[in-house]
Order: sequence, then C-alpha cells, then structure tokens
Amino acid sequence: MARYIIKRILVAFPVLIAVSLILFVLLNVVPGDPVTVMMREHIKPELIEVFRERMGLNDPILVQFGRYMVNALRGDFGMSYKLQRDVSAMIREAFPHTIKLAIYAALVAWIIGIPAGILSAVKQNTLVDRAFMSFSLMGVSLPVFWAGLLMQYLFAFKLGWLPVTGYYSPRYYILPAIVLGWQSAGTIARLTRSNLLEVMKNDYIRTARAKGLGETVVVVGHALKNAMLPVVTMMAMQVAGLLGGAVMTESIFGIPGLGRITVDAMGTRDMPLLQGSVLFITAIIIIGNMVADLLYAFLDPRIRVE
Amino acid sequence: MKKKTLALLLTVLFVLGAFAGCGSPAASTPPATTPTAPAATEPAASGIPAKVAPGYENIMRMVTNPQPDTCDPQQTTEFFCVNFMIFNRLAEAVTTGPGKTELIPSLAEKWEISEDALEYTFYLRKDVKFHNGNDFTAEDVKYTFERMLWPETGAKNQDFVDPIVGSDEVMAGTTKELSGVTIVDDYTIKVKLKVPFGPFIASMAAPAMGILDKEATEAAGKDFGLAADKTIGTGPYYFDKWVLNDELLVKRFDGYWDKQPELEGISWKIISDAETMRMMFEAGELDVFDTEFALSQLEYFTNSPKYANNIISGDRVGILYLTFNQQIKPFDDVRVRKALQMAMDRQGLVDALNGGRGTPRYGIFPAGVMGYNPNLPEIPYDPEQAKALLAEAGYPDGFEMTIAHDSSSTSALPRVELLASLLEDIGLKVTIDSMDSATWFATRAEGKLPAYTSTWSADYNDPDNFIYTFFAPGNTVKRSFNFNNPALSQRIVDARAIVDPVAREKEYQALEIAVIQEEAAWIPLYSVQHVFLVNDRLKGFKPSWNGWSDGWYYYDGLRIEN
Repeated sequence: MARYIIKRILVAFPVLIAVSLILFVLLNVVPGDPVTVMMREHIKPELIEVFRERMGLNDPILVQFGRYMVNALRGDFGMSYKLQRDVSAMIREAFPHTIKLAIYAALVAWIIGIPAGILSAVKQNTLVDRAFMSFSLMGVSLPVFWAGLLMQYLFAFKLGWLPVTGYYSPRYYILPAIVLGWQSAGTIARLTRSNLLEVMKNDYIRTARAKGLGETVVVVGHALKNAMLPVVTMMAMQVAGLLGGAVMTESIFGIPGLGRITVDAMGTRDMPLLQGSVLFITAIIIIGNMVADLLYAFLDPRIRVE
Repeated sequence: MKKKTLALLLTVLFVLGAFAGCGSPAASTPPATTPTAPAATEPAASGIPAKVAPGYENIMRMVTNPQPDTCDPQQTTEFFCVNFMIFNRLAEAVTTGPGKTELIPSLAEKWEISEDALEYTFYLRKDVKFHNGNDFTAEDVKYTFERMLWPETGAKNQDFVDPIVGSDEVMAGTTKELSGVTIVDDYTIKVKLKVPFGPFIASMAAPAMGILDKEATEAAGKDFGLAADKTIGTGPYYFDKWVLNDELLVKRFDGYWDKQPELEGISWKIISDAETMRMMFEAGELDVFDTEFALSQLEYFTNSPKYANNIISGDRVGILYLTFNQQIKPFDDVRVRKALQMAMDRQGLVDALNGGRGTPRYGIFPAGVMGYNPNLPEIPYDPEQAKALLAEAGYPDGFEMTIAHDSSSTSALPRVELLASLLEDIGLKVTIDSMDSATWFATRAEGKLPAYTSTWSADYNDPDNFIYTFFAPGNTVKRSFNFNNPALSQRIVDARAIVDPVAREKEYQALEIAVIQEEAAWIPLYSVQHVFLVNDRLKGFKPSWNGWSDGWYYYDGLRIEN
C-alpha cells in the first residue's frame, strides 16, 4: 500500500510540471499583456518598458519558465503582478474558504443525492422516480451562476431568510452550498440509481429475497454496499468538480476563495498568481483521485487482492 | 419523512422556476413594480429593509469592483477609495457645487508661487498627526516626493513629481535626493520646477499625491498599501482592515486635525457580480450602490418608482468618446473623420443608453473642468452631410471598419452596437470585434486598435489632464489614436508651461477647437451623470466632484440615522 501511494505521488510531479508548461505556453500564446492591463486607462508610455523589465517579461519564455520552476520547487511561487502579494500566502488565505464551501456542498450532494438515488431505484418508473430524476437532471444542467442568482433572488431578496452574500457563519453557506451541491447531487443520484438497479438484478439479491428478508434489509444490507462502490469513487473525484464550480459560486456569493483569485488572475494575465492557483487546484485533484483509488481498494476486496 | 422533505424541496424548485423570468440579468424590460419587501422589517420610504450586521450600525457600507491592486497611492492609478480617506494631500479639491471644484489648503496652510512660476513655497500645518501619532513635518513631504521617483518603489504616478528639478536623476537611480526640494524648516518646504507647469497645484490635490509618513512607510516596506495597520496617513479615517476579495474598511481617526466625521467608518465590499450588488442593495446590505459598478442595473432602478427618492446623481466630470486610428485608411482623411463626427446622434445616445441622464459634448473638456467652453460650436447630427463628405473623400459607398470592444465592460456593448448602427446609417459596414480586457489593452498600447469607444474623467481639475493624456506624442500612440499633427502636438506640450490662468484658458480653448473640431481627431459623445442609490438610513450623501471614480466622503452632514 505504502509503495502504491509513493508511486502515485511520484507520478504526480510530471503531471504538475506538464500542467505548468501548458499553462505557460498558453498564456504566452494568447494576446494580452499584464503590464498594459494593469495600467488600464491610465497608461503611461514611459513606464511600460520599466515594468516589463522589472517583471522579467523581456526574457525568453523558456528562461521565464525555468526561473519559475526553479523557484516553485523551492516553494517560492512568486508575487502576484497585480496585487503585489506573495502567491503562496494568497492561496493559503483563500483556500480554507473554498474547501469549506466544497465540503458543505459535498454534504448537500450526499444527503440529497444518495437517498434520492435509492428511492428512485426502489420505486423505479413511478412518479417519485421521475420527479427525482428530473430534479437531478436540472441540477446537472442548470449553470451554477443561474441557479445561484435564482436562489439569491428567492431566499435572500424576496423572502429575506438568508443573507445575499458573505461567509461569516454556516448560515451564509446555506445558499452557496445548495447551489454548488445540487449539481453533484444530481450526478450522485443518477449514478446511485443505475448502479442499484444493476445490482438488484444479481442472483444473490434473489437469494436474499428467497431467504425471506425484508425489502429494506435486502436493499440497504445487501445491494447498497455493492452499488455504492462506483458512487464513492465518483464522490471523491467530484472534489475537482466542486472546486471548479466554486469559481462561479464564490463570485456570486462574495466568498473570497480560490475561484475568485483564479478568475481575476486570468483576466489580468497575472501569471504568477494564475500558475500558483492552477497548480494548487491540480494538486488537489490529483490527491482527490488518489483518495478515490485508495477508497476503492479499501472497500472492494477484489482490488486489494490484485 | 424523507419523502416529505424531498417533496418540499421539489415544490421550492418549481417556485424557483416560476421566478425565473423576473431574475433574468438580461431582461431588457424591467419588472414594472417590485412588490414591497418583507413586512418584518421597519417601514421606510422605499421599504428597503435596514439589515445591518453587528458593528456596522454607524458605518457607511459601499461596494467596489474590481478590488484595488494596492492602497499605496503611488502605486495605483485608478483605485483610490481607501486612499482618499486615509491620506491628505498638500491641497484638496473640494466640491463646491454640482460639477464644481475648488482647491483648498489642506496639509499646506498656504503656498506662494515665485514671479517666474518656477518656485513653490508651501507653508505646512503645524498641528497634524499621523494615525500612528507621529508629527507631520516637511521631512514627510520630501520623502513622499522622493519615494515616488525611486526605482525600487515601482510607482505608477511619477508624472506628478516629474516636473520637479532633479527628478530625472532620482528616477535613474543615480541619487536618492531630489535636488529641487528644499526643507527650509520643519514646516516650510520649497519646490523648484524644471519649467513652469500650470497645473502643478491642481495635480498636488490628485489622489496619487497623498502624503506619507516617512518613518511608518519605511518600516512597512513592501507591506505598505497592503497591510492595513502598516498603511499610515493623516486622513480623517485610518485603514482598519483589508480582507482580500471581501472587504476594505476604514474607521474614524480620533486625532484628526480637522473636524471629526460623523460616520464611524466606511466599508467597501468587493463584489464582482452586478446582480448580486443590486440584490445586496435591495436587501438592505448596502448603504450606497454606485451604479457605475453595475450599469446594467441602472435602468431597473431608474424605472422603479419605489426607488425614486433613493437616487442621487451628479454630473460626471468626464466624457465618453469614440475614436479611430489615424494610421488606418481612410481615417487619415479629415473629411472622413468629420463625416463620422456628424454621424453621431448624441442626444439619441444619451436617451437610449443613459435614460436621458447626460449631456451631449462637442469638445474635449467637459463641464466642471477648468477651460470648459460653454460657447463651443455644436457638431451637428447630419447623416446627409456626412454622406456627402464621404463621397467627396472618395467613398460614396462607404467603407468597412471595425470597432474593438473590451468584453469585460458589459455596459459598453450596447453603446458599441448603437454607435455601429449610427455609422451604418451613413453607409459604413461596421464589424464589432470583442476582445478580453488584457488583449484589448495590449493591442491598444501597441497603437493597433482600429476604433473604440471609452471614457475619461478628470484626475485633477485642469484641461491638461485631458488633452495631454490623449494627444501628446507617445500618449497618442499608446491609446491607438496615432494623432498625426506634430505642430498641434507641440502646442499641447508647450501649453503646460502657461501659468497665467486667463492665457491658459484661452490657449486650451483654442487647442480644443483646433484638435477636436478642425482636425476632427476624435469624436466627443457625451458626459454622463454619476448615479448612486442611497439607502434610507444614510443622510446627507453628496456625489463628490466626480472627476475620479471614487469619491471624497469627508464633508458636513454625512451621517447615518438608524
């Protein structure tokens, strides 16, 4: 097991380097320049060169990339061009907000998604099933920013039950967590339903029923354990999806997380900040996938044997 | 039980669906009336609930977007919300009436200008303390000027100090001392200019020229402007906190040398979404909603009778314009440029885009800035004459042109579209090229944008701030105008040295006619009104002079009544 984990971690490094390189090349290919966008309307011709030189933008791309990687390996992710702060510190400050949002959203997704999936499977082709499945389809299809604005409109503005923006107590997280979690809930519900239906066709389920066990015991005790395997993997991998969705959710609900930093950095061609936050998110996704694999191995004895 | 909960959720969903139409950000027709807010809240004129978080009872809550890069006045060119309040300048430009400003003494009690207009003597106030308790002296003023020029500072506003003798050497890094500045005693300082510079005092009142505490700023190092507790000034408020992407907060400074503000503080929430801003205001989470951060929401408010008493506006000392690149044919032909000027239905634009809240302009200096000419001849809206001019220039069937648009500015798109349709009325074929912000700015700095529309408002009250910014050599390339009349460009540079106010005004008004009307070097459109929505609990709010995007909120009568 330990060897497996170490191997996975070692594989992660080339992935991270590749991601940085791709990002670096992309940012240098797309038009746009961090200096002029920083000066915006108050552009001063005599200062453009001074700033380009100071920011090292006049060096060849490979030199810039090399310098970045060497510093990054030392743990120095540079200073944000626009905000003039240490990138690592900015990520450290922003990440807790994002992970908090992601965890709340995941809870929403599981609490709604799993029971909804089970009920739909058990009551297959009934009204309940159709209702749950339309609900999950809506979750999967509705863009986060749209659902977010609707929820804000209804619950914060019309009904006044919850604040429009903020992040100061769990109450503030209710709307963003629902908005963000809904999408995952939909995926989880659909996956749970289809897996459960698949498993229910197996011989051992028929045997369990033949033994005279009640339907609840059959479903929860026998079928669910096996049906949940892919769902658990999906849940771990959804960390990535939630982090991605958090970008929009954070902007709408005024949460100062990683998503906002990343979007702003793209808009201002803030290379160090964008590199830093993308690398960080990549690392999280790699870890998420690794956890998913390990969980799978832990839950499924067959994989452990192999 | 579970089933019931889920059923409830579903119901909620359907209700949400029913509201979908009302919440649409793109809805061009706003809902006629908005039902009143929840009955649980206090009744008020507009029915905006007064939802105030603990600790914010006496704090003016505003919103800003984007977030300032820094609150170091020397390192930012646009985001001055905090700077205005935590620093003082040698002189302040105060609003004396709608769109009117006057320079008043601030940290400098008075000043004298020598006969040859080269030497300025500032007599400083003796009773001023910085937020950290330090005394304010001439040493701090000298330090402020010098720090602006040191290469290691990375300042973006060196042009304000550039007219002083010795600035080139300091900028080049050969010396740290600015030879043109002499400390006579603790409270007297002399400043020597290279050549006479008419707008010098006005420029000293610009937000970039906030006076810093030498000791605190040196101690803060790179944290100055970023860490609230290390960013020290003499202003009526001190910098209390800055939570990145969340909030900027300043609080009343008890040791302020002038009258204490009634407000306990000012908070700016950093919100990027226009719809969110609107809902925050409507839910009572904001005291002031500056619609310039969310122009898409302006129509909604101005059309809603519910908010009629909450709207406060002032003329913006700025101007919207359309411009083209004279390096691209046929914009090198003055007849073509004049034709484009005549294609503009300015009043129509104001009515369609700003609900009539604006004034057509025919020159470059808007009302409210020194040198504004109320008798400037109008540029007629005359599509027929425009077509005739095009035919005369050899384009009877028009030509193809492109307007480049910065897609991050959603409020500019309707303007671009309307401008395009006006140009098509005189026979041109217009393509709109949407670019993201970074691309737009980079292309413009290369002098390669074909044509675009943008806006400029005054940094300080002087015509130089308009015409030099746009048409001086260098500037005109970086803004993709490529104005190509060296004689006029030279006159614009020379005009800076005119000190006599009457002669100055005369020359600038002559330049305005020569550059804008005779050369038709750009297309003035109109000035807008700066519209604010103000919550019922905030009293005495006045739009400030309105050159800057951010306001000056230190004046009598501004208070909160909960």
